[in-house]
Amino acid sequence: MEPQPLCMDESAEAVIKCYSNMVYRLAFARTGTRHDADEIYQEVFLRYIKKQPVFENEDHRKAWLIKVTVNCSKKLWGSAWKRKIVPLEETLPFETKEAIDLYNELQQLPTKYREVIHLYYYEDMSTEAIAESLERKSSTVRTQLTRARAMLKNILEEDQDV
Amino acid sequence: MFKESYHRMNSHIFPSEQLMQDVLSAARGKHCKKRMISLRLKRNIMMLVVFSAILVMTMPVIASTVEPIYQLMYMVSPSVAQFFMPVQKSSISNGIKLEVVSANIHQKTAEIYVTMQDLTENRIDGTTDLFDSYTINRPFDSSAHCQMIGYDEKTKIVTFLITIDEWGGQNIDGDKITFSVREFLSQKNSYEDLAIPVSLANIADAEHTQTVSSNGGGGRDYQGYLEFEKNPIALVPSVPMANFPIDGIAFTGIAYIDGELHIQTAVEHPLDNDNHGFFYLKDENGTEIDCDFSFYFSETDEQIGRIDYHECVFDVPLENIAAYALYGDFVTSGMKTEGDWRVTFPLESVE
Repeated sequence: MEPQPLCMDESAEAVIKCYSNMVYRLAFARTGTRHDADEIYQEVFLRYIKKQPVFENEDHRKAWLIKVTVNCSKKLWGSAWKRKIVPLEETLPFETKEAIDLYNELQQLPTKYREVIHLYYYEDMSTEAIAESLERKSSTVRTQLTRARAMLKNILEEDQDV
Repeated sequence: MFKESYHRMNSHIFPSEQLMQDVLSAARGKHCKKRMISLRLKRNIMMLVVFSAILVMTMPVIASTVEPIYQLMYMVSPSVAQFFMPVQKSSISNGIKLEVVSANIHQKTAEIYVTMQDLTENRIDGTTDLFDSYTINRPFDSSAHCQMIGYDEKTKIVTFLITIDEWGGQNIDGDKITFSVREFLSQKNSYEDLAIPVSLANIADAEHTQTVSSNGGGGRDYQGYLEFEKNPIALVPSVPMANFPIDGIAFTGIAYIDGELHIQTAVEHPLDNDNHGFFYLKDENGTEIDCDFSFYFSETDEQIGRIDYHECVFDVPLENIAAYALYGDFVTSGMKTEGDWRVTFPLESVE
């Protein structure tokens, strides 16, 4: 995993650079398209620039960005405009068959499972931390993680470490 | 291992340099636009359209036709205007003119500007919405969408931008497109951030529920939900709330089902309007929580007497709900106009 650097510089520019990949990858995990991830990415950081929130520590900043990313992607999908447009088909950014197969498997999962999988396996967050960020009960997160694993059985069945 | 595979997959996913620079520019400038357009060319084109519309409003003599838009674009920036290919093919039905003004292909994206103008009445306004009534026929694999980008009060002309993204590496230069519209809505009212007069502290489990057949839905969790619940469980509609503040939308229920908050609204004659809305929760700090998913269902498929129900579902425990207030965004439409507008035109690239 790429280490997530702490933002010693709290300027908006530094924060954007610091959390750029985290926000974009979570948005992509939820939406499955770069087109939507682009839009969410802009919205999240525009909100950050506009609100200029103050945090007690870096964990809170990260939790805020995760929460806003999830909310923005929900808002995007729930908007009247989004309901009217044709889903955008786009070229996948992956070069290996392994990545393409994994992406396709993940797209079969419900969104709320994909985001839990992403936060657990990519951001290395505990189920309690995920529950706090997503405003769900820990038991709900654990259930969603279990169901997601079951649905990814084909990928995970040979994976003893998961 | 799954974790390593997932990390390798994600290593290919990152924002484009242009996208990041746009956001960083906003941070430096301390100004926030609601939407930035990541393609600089597209942004310039949009600015030109807006600027041109302003100029048209100040020049009523030439504003009676759409052609001056080209002249103004060339006056403002020939380097951008060169991407526009004049089309000027039109279709008149029910006293309303639909005209394809221009079209251009830039890389794999075709951008087509379409205007509509009421020649006899005032049925076109700044809220004109083609909703689901337009079709874009094209002979290649692609995705397409249409959005309103401007309305000129002086000429009563509304402008739409159709964007078509080709996918598959085909050459679409010279291909013909048919854009058709069968009806549109106008005189719409929008209500944003509307406080709903409901005390969430008094919400309880639903006494009566029903299993319905959903005919659509929204929210990213909708599809996932239906994988487990082929037929969602919904509230049984109650007598509409008397003090619900939106004409055209009835508030027919709010209660908990299986630990999730369900909020139900109903729209009569749904095929004659696009009345819709979304609820969200706000805590005391103003933090918003959108519904996890929503679904639609009807009690009949018949057009006459049909009522569409929309149910928003929040995954917020009952014990926490008192900490929130209910808000919503709604849109209602006042007029539907029917016609048969159809224009076929070629896509040509000047690059």
